[in-house]
Amino acid sequence: MAPPFPKPKRKPADDKAKKRIFIRRKVCRFCADTKLKADYKETGLLKHFISERGKLIPRRITGNCAKHQRQVATAIRRARMIALMPFVVTGK
Amino acid sequence: MPEVRASIRDEIGTLREYETVYILKPDTAQDEISQMNARVRQILESMGGKLLDLDNWGKRKLAYEIKKQLKGIYMYWRYLAPSGVVEEVQRNLRMLDAVIRYYTVRIGENIVPDTRTSAVDDARFTAAAEVRPDEEEIVTGAAEREEYDDEFGEPNMDEEV
Repeated sequence: MAPPFPKPKRKPADDKAKKRIFIRRKVCRFCADTKLKADYKETGLLKHFISERGKLIPRRITGNCAKHQRQVATAIRRARMIALMPFVVTGK
Repeated sequence: MPEVRASIRDEIGTLREYETVYILKPDTAQDEISQMNARVRQILESMGGKLLDLDNWGKRKLAYEIKKQLKGIYMYWRYLAPSGVVEEVQRNLRMLDAVIRYYTVRIGENIVPDTRTSAVDDARFTAAAEVRPDEEEIVTGAAEREEYDDEFGEPNMDEEV
């Protein structure tokens, strides 16, 4: 059965709405890969979780779950103690 | 093996597992390092601890300056020990001038010592005291030059002229 009236053309506003819905959900890297452990000796992994200034990146941006973010934060603080990671990166 | 436990948390007949990292001045001589390692090992073993792993991470660039040093030799120890050993080890490290930083982390509790095997034999123990040139020294060619003209370890610059 044919529709009684022609299908309305899509308005530009619909496109906008559709774009906004698409948000990539971040998953905790440590939950996704159980072999991965936040270790203070492994700076290669930990440096993903600090900013260019050397500050800890919040959970809201890294996408870590609470448990693993805590572990990452502790590991980074330990790495800082033995000068494997910086407390602060200055523009020197 | 301690019969009396220092903490109610510990089970009798078990030890705690620790990791200690200490950083030495980059110009520390090899004999000095081996002496230092022997001293730490002696403390561990005399107080009922067990050395599990010993590693020299080599000369590394420090993330920030410590005691005017920009590089350091990293020594990594993993061991089982009863209570009190860490204090004793750290007290000794504090007395040594070559140590610019030490840090200990407890990584396990209530470990029966016989269930763990030590990865450290005599060859590994002596190898850990070895000082290898770091990347920068290899690139700049400073590592190639073995002859130093004075006791301060400055490369002899006059000869090239």
